[in-house]
Amino acid sequence: MSIIIKKEVSSFFSTPFGYVFLGIFLLLSGMMFTIYNLLGGNGALSGMFDLLKNVSFIIFPVLTMRMFAEERRNGTEQLLMTSRLRCVDIVLGKFLAAGVLFGYALAATLVYVVIIAAHGSPNYGALAASYLGFALLGVSMIAVCTFISSFAENQVTAAISAFGILFLMVMLASFTRSLTIPVLSPILSALAITTRYDEFTRGVLRPGPVAYYLGVTAVCLVMAVKNLEYRRFR
Amino acid sequence: MIQVTGLTKRYGNKRGVEDITFHVDQGEIVGLLGPNGAGKSTIMKMLTGCHMMTSGRIVINGCDMLEDPDQALRHIGFMPELPPLYLEMEVEEYLLFAAAIKGVPKGERKAHVEGFLGLTGVGDVRGRPIGNLSKGYRQRVGLAQALVGDPKILILDEPTAGLDPRQITEVRDLLKRLSRDHTIMVSSHILAEIGQTCDRVVIISNGRLVAEDTMENLSRGQEEGNLFRLKAACNREELSAALGDIPAIEKIEGCGTDGDRRWFEITAPDTDEVRQAVSAALARHQIPLLELNSGRLSLEQVFLRLTDARAGEGAAL
Repeated sequence: MSIIIKKEVSSFFSTPFGYVFLGIFLLLSGMMFTIYNLLGGNGALSGMFDLLKNVSFIIFPVLTMRMFAEERRNGTEQLLMTSRLRCVDIVLGKFLAAGVLFGYALAATLVYVVIIAAHGSPNYGALAASYLGFALLGVSMIAVCTFISSFAENQVTAAISAFGILFLMVMLASFTRSLTIPVLSPILSALAITTRYDEFTRGVLRPGPVAYYLGVTAVCLVMAVKNLEYRRFR
Repeated sequence: MIQVTGLTKRYGNKRGVEDITFHVDQGEIVGLLGPNGAGKSTIMKMLTGCHMMTSGRIVINGCDMLEDPDQALRHIGFMPELPPLYLEMEVEEYLLFAAAIKGVPKGERKAHVEGFLGLTGVGDVRGRPIGNLSKGYRQRVGLAQALVGDPKILILDEPTAGLDPRQITEVRDLLKRLSRDHTIMVSSHILAEIGQTCDRVVIISNGRLVAEDTMENLSRGQEEGNLFRLKAACNREELSAALGDIPAIEKIEGCGTDGDRRWFEITAPDTDEVRQAVSAALARHQIPLLELNSGRLSLEQVFLRLTDARAGEGAAL
């Protein structure tokens, strides 16, 4: 698995792809940091993460769109499939590599914490909860995109499908608040991926939301592995 | 080394290949031949575990592909029609990656890859990104990748596709060198390539096996009885008069003209004695003999005859 992580991370930075992703992520977060924190005189990063949460359905499909589609286009999927690698190694390797790039982007935003700390006294507990919440949200969204990407034959299909599904999951958070249909409401609520994130921005850390995001991640990765296994012996 | 029995692949109701049975012995180079769309790549993908068969059995070096695919695949190096290359990687980096995913121990990878860089002639471009290489070099990098891991069996799908004549000759020579310690199955629709490289051919048409034999046996099996052709500067009456005293000749027929020269088909045992008698008789009658050909068919003619017959059957169905 480590060889796949290494190859994927290196491929992010041997093409413009990794730099473009990091650039867009830091541009958006930098803009919000400037508006909310520097100009607004605010010591919490919840405003920045709120914006990133609302555009996350665009950011993460871009991160994962070439995950499998590129291998299929170049014919390299056959190389992986006929090697000693197991499907779980391939899926986890690619997922973790995307996670590493997301980690780099998130780590770069720590400079904002340093700036806030230099000019005020931030609430470190709330900041840590915000970071943890956004990291969990991001990881689970990457897992959803990984699963969707495992079906795609080309990058455009992968990006648009993942964008559509994530958009729906983000939008469901607004709908489910006003819905009280007995069976449907709990199902839609479970699919509303950003609902549990709001607790983190308030500085509340409960096991429920953490388990939810880890659960979504695990389910999507297992389904991606099963899909790849099906494709391998189709 | 490879034993394929009753191999069938269906895509829903559509037939991919049906009831294919053949074998490849150790150290052989066997050509998989067929028109475009005949099912060559489908067979190769099933042999390499990329596609699941609908029914049938594949045994690779004693390992059943269904029962123990991991063990079976360890013996196989595969180069698909489109070499599986990461264009952003450098050549050596790519081969080291291939060695890692094929289970070559970390400490041995560098030395392992070094040998194949030299063997396939890509050592001089080892530090260049694959995306910057010509088609010929990319094909060789793909071949080097198939060799990584020291598989006993190489399965190469159209290894010379898109190469220039010089590169085709180089790949052909490389295959001959590799055949010393590998069993090779190579697919192509270029007959000259198969004819010069392979010990035996398996001919597929319309998803079915139409022949499996050595090239010589196939030609002999398809030869047109006791027939040979000659080209001479005379008409049929003059030729009949000249050859009339050779008792072995059963029939003389004209079969085309080329200016004042004519082609004739002569039905007689295709032996050296008859040929000598024919050329001597023509010399006595001062008839210039321009060409004398055996009725034995070339690989092209065998291939066309076999695949046309199968296409005809398919059309009739």
